[in-house]
Amino acid sequence: MNPTTRRRLTAALPLAWASLAGAGLAGSLILPPPDLDPAPRADPQESRRWVSNPVPRPAPLAPPVLTPDRAAAFSESLEARAGLRAYEGAPPVIPHAIKDLDLRTCRTCHATGLRTGDQLAHAVSHTHLANCTQCHVEAANHQFAPVHDPANSFAGIRPQAAGGFRALSGSPPNIPHTTFMRTNCASCHGPHGYPGLQPDHLDRLNCVQCHALNAEFDQLSPAFNASARENPTGEQRR
Amino acid sequence: MTTVDRREFIKSAAMSAAVAAAAGSTRAFALPVLTAPGVQWNKAPCRFCGTGCHVLVGVEDGRVVGIQGDLKADVNKGLLCVKGYHVGQILYGKDRLTTPLLRKDGRLVPISWEEAIDTVARRVLKDPKGFAMYGSGQWTIPEGCAGNKFMKGGLSSNHLDGNPRLCMSSAVTGFLSTYGVDEPAGVYDDLDQCDVAIMWGNNMAEMHPVVFSRIVDRRSRGEKVTIIDFGTRRTRTTDHADEFLLFKPNSDLAIANGIAHLLVQNNAYDKDFVARHCNFRQLDPEKPDAMQGKPMTFDEYAAALAEYTPERVEQISGVPADKIRLLAALFARRDIRITSLWCMGMNQHTRGTAINCLVHGIHLLSGHFGKPGDAPTSLTGQPSACGTVREVGTLCHLLPGGRLVANEDHRKHAEGFWNLPEGRINPKPGYHTVLLFEKFCTPTDKGGDIHTLWVQVTNPGQSLPNLHKLFKAKKGLEDKFLIVSDVYPTATTELADLVLPSALWVEKNGMYGNSERRTQQWFKMVDPPGQARDDCWQTIAVARRLFDLGFEGMKNKDAEFLFTFKDKGGKPVPVWDWNHYYDINVDEAFFEEYRPFSKLKQKDLAPYAEYARTRGLRWPVVQQPDGSWRETRWRFSEFDDPYVKKGAGTQFYNSVTKDDKALVWFRPWEPPPEGPDADYPYWLCTGRVLEHWHTGSMTRRVPQLHRAMPAAYVEISSTDAARLGVRSGERVALVSRRGRLELPCWIGGRGDCPEGTVFVPFFDESLLINELTLDAHDPFSKQPDYKKCAVRVERVVTTGAAR
Repeated sequence: MNPTTRRRLTAALPLAWASLAGAGLAGSLILPPPDLDPAPRADPQESRRWVSNPVPRPAPLAPPVLTPDRAAAFSESLEARAGLRAYEGAPPVIPHAIKDLDLRTCRTCHATGLRTGDQLAHAVSHTHLANCTQCHVEAANHQFAPVHDPANSFAGIRPQAAGGFRALSGSPPNIPHTTFMRTNCASCHGPHGYPGLQPDHLDRLNCVQCHALNAEFDQLSPAFNASARENPTGEQRR
Repeated sequence: MTTVDRREFIKSAAMSAAVAAAAGSTRAFALPVLTAPGVQWNKAPCRFCGTGCHVLVGVEDGRVVGIQGDLKADVNKGLLCVKGYHVGQILYGKDRLTTPLLRKDGRLVPISWEEAIDTVARRVLKDPKGFAMYGSGQWTIPEGCAGNKFMKGGLSSNHLDGNPRLCMSSAVTGFLSTYGVDEPAGVYDDLDQCDVAIMWGNNMAEMHPVVFSRIVDRRSRGEKVTIIDFGTRRTRTTDHADEFLLFKPNSDLAIANGIAHLLVQNNAYDKDFVARHCNFRQLDPEKPDAMQGKPMTFDEYAAALAEYTPERVEQISGVPADKIRLLAALFARRDIRITSLWCMGMNQHTRGTAINCLVHGIHLLSGHFGKPGDAPTSLTGQPSACGTVREVGTLCHLLPGGRLVANEDHRKHAEGFWNLPEGRINPKPGYHTVLLFEKFCTPTDKGGDIHTLWVQVTNPGQSLPNLHKLFKAKKGLEDKFLIVSDVYPTATTELADLVLPSALWVEKNGMYGNSERRTQQWFKMVDPPGQARDDCWQTIAVARRLFDLGFEGMKNKDAEFLFTFKDKGGKPVPVWDWNHYYDINVDEAFFEEYRPFSKLKQKDLAPYAEYARTRGLRWPVVQQPDGSWRETRWRFSEFDDPYVKKGAGTQFYNSVTKDDKALVWFRPWEPPPEGPDADYPYWLCTGRVLEHWHTGSMTRRVPQLHRAMPAAYVEISSTDAARLGVRSGERVALVSRRGRLELPCWIGGRGDCPEGTVFVPFFDESLLINELTLDAHDPFSKQPDYKKCAVRVERVVTTGAAR
């Protein structure tokens, strides 16, 4: 281990452990940091110099404030997204006619995303999957006259307009959805994504540096699907 | 963290975030969340096809609100198809059946459950021999156990058949003829490892999209897999294929024989595998109806194949001779792995058993068997055609665990496991599906000796062939009584005299068995609507009513009620009373009663709790010294199957010939029973589309699926359309010897027919194509041919809009 790496590790570790504790995990999980070589101590003179620095300390970050324009774009984008889905999490339907189903046809527009007029083609966020129509169907069958929807009272999960996950005011928000099959954040959040879902820092490429995924959405939480686990003996369930 | 704690935690986390945000700004950045706090997720196999994907069902306030692919599921690894993603909506169609209905003066009127159950029991008492039950590959395993025991163990009647007779039974006879035991030896893992995948008349891209993706997605990872599509029309599967081999309907037997012939003639078959593991067989010309046939030598086999030269095969099938040579050359290679896949194309065939045998034969002959990626694998169309029908034995000639009603030992086993007096089970097989409906639709004085038919979890009024003869003829027969347990009004309930509203999918506990021998389990998650109740309860309630009316057959050997289930204290639970049905887990009770049946043919099942814990297990599931339960992926292969003797390599331990060898069959190509002629010049093929499942009674109530595929159509080639003078969207009439149907044509649409062939999907209950199809069936499997009959196409002159 070179000295620089060691220094970085030592500096980062207490923070990581503190944030684990702060996340409300059981106290028994908090262990002392692993035993590392003692790092060189900071030069006390240097600290003093920093404290006495005449430049004023920056104010704590405020939560991002939405301008009315951005707020409207955000809601519109959410509505546009929801309009293509039976529930949050369902694959979107295809809002245009499809004919030739060769994978390359879909990728002509959806490989990198495309803007033509006011139409946006989002990039595919799961390029390892090759059978597009397995999950995505046409919103309407253009061969037939428009049909009446069958009466159905299903009411699926909707994206919620309020809430979300931020540890602290000003913290970067957690990713509020699953990351399964979403390997390319720019599909929705990039220049050919939804206008209202674009961050103001598109120049930053490593999204998950700041935005943590949420185990609950990725079927990774130990408590996920707990009921099946709690019921291994097949006790009746009503 | 307990579930409740977790929920509270998420709630409070969300709340503090909201509070924090509100404190910072009046217009805090609002974020969408995927799942509202309080949504409970639980696993279930998908309700639709035989693939057996696991979904995660999100439930909030007693209603299903979302679906996710289950990342822990081996079958689908987090993915679903468009039907699976929308499976939650099938519970919420507005016209769910919610109360029992009895036909009075021609109208269905609501009645009480008590009257409904009593009505069914009185129909049994009228004449138990004329009471039949028609079940389903959508029955859960416990529902099938209940129906089977009620009919065969209670009424001493084998007039119980299931709709897999219409979709799977030729695969069954193919496996039985070849290996002496039913169900594939391979698994879906073969699709991850094969070098070549051959689709034998199989549109997997639409019918089994999730397993199809397991093949095509490999290409995205840089792997090479060759897909060969044998078909009578172009489909979405063809779009992914390296080779598309268009063949004339019914000529598949010639193609299979052509490949076998070249393997033999070129000395390219696997001599070692054949010597160690294969015997040869043909039908006995003196007893052509005997499925076991008679032995033949290898030389006789080679001689019988000799006429199937590539040129002769080209003449019969239309597939170029060079392509037959290409196929034979692939099978001749030992360095590649080949998986064959098929479903209805080979099974719904008047020569279904024969073509199934031939495809197994090519794999055995070439040694492409029993190694990962080398497998002949049939796929199922229903979620539990394997689990409930083939394994539980809910066909008119079967008993659970691969037993036969005609076999005295097998009857004794069943009487033992069911604790019945000796001789209770009737040795005579009942009526198979086509015969059953024929007898039901024939007037009693003309030999129609089935007076009452109870249909559960299926829609024969739409799915039977030749509907006028086999279903609609029931209309007006006053002494015939049709009972239908279902969730929505269907083409079948239209003629029903009694309709029983059923619980659907996650409204009840259940177990399914998929195409790759995987047994799956789920728990009830939401309540059924109105008075809808579990099908399994309905069967038990009728049995109890008969017991109370003094019917002897509803007593076991100890004079207890046939369906006596006890709680942990040993006290019988009155499960026939709906208020007590969920006092115990009836599914578990049925499953544990059924488990011992599974040993005879090495189809061992694990205890119920193992299935509750896992995303299904593939049988044989064998307990290990440490107490754990191990599933088996490759059956008959020493490296994986614990029943194979050490050193044997491959062992067909259920062998027909009792020498651990499989049978390679010779079956000749023969002309079809009906083909195009001067009056009916087109082939009619029927089938499915991606968006709709089976008869569409569920998927047509899902807006997203209905909009994408709202109505049936006839697919016709552009050449034929030009000749007829019709354009896409215009109506044409299809006329067969059995019926006539008008529907819009679609040229160059979802699929593409060659000249002289038309295709119609069967999902649309307002356009019943099965009024035209043929009820001719395979002599061994009794499975009808929905893929080939002759029709003529007529232009319909309309005055208004074309559509």
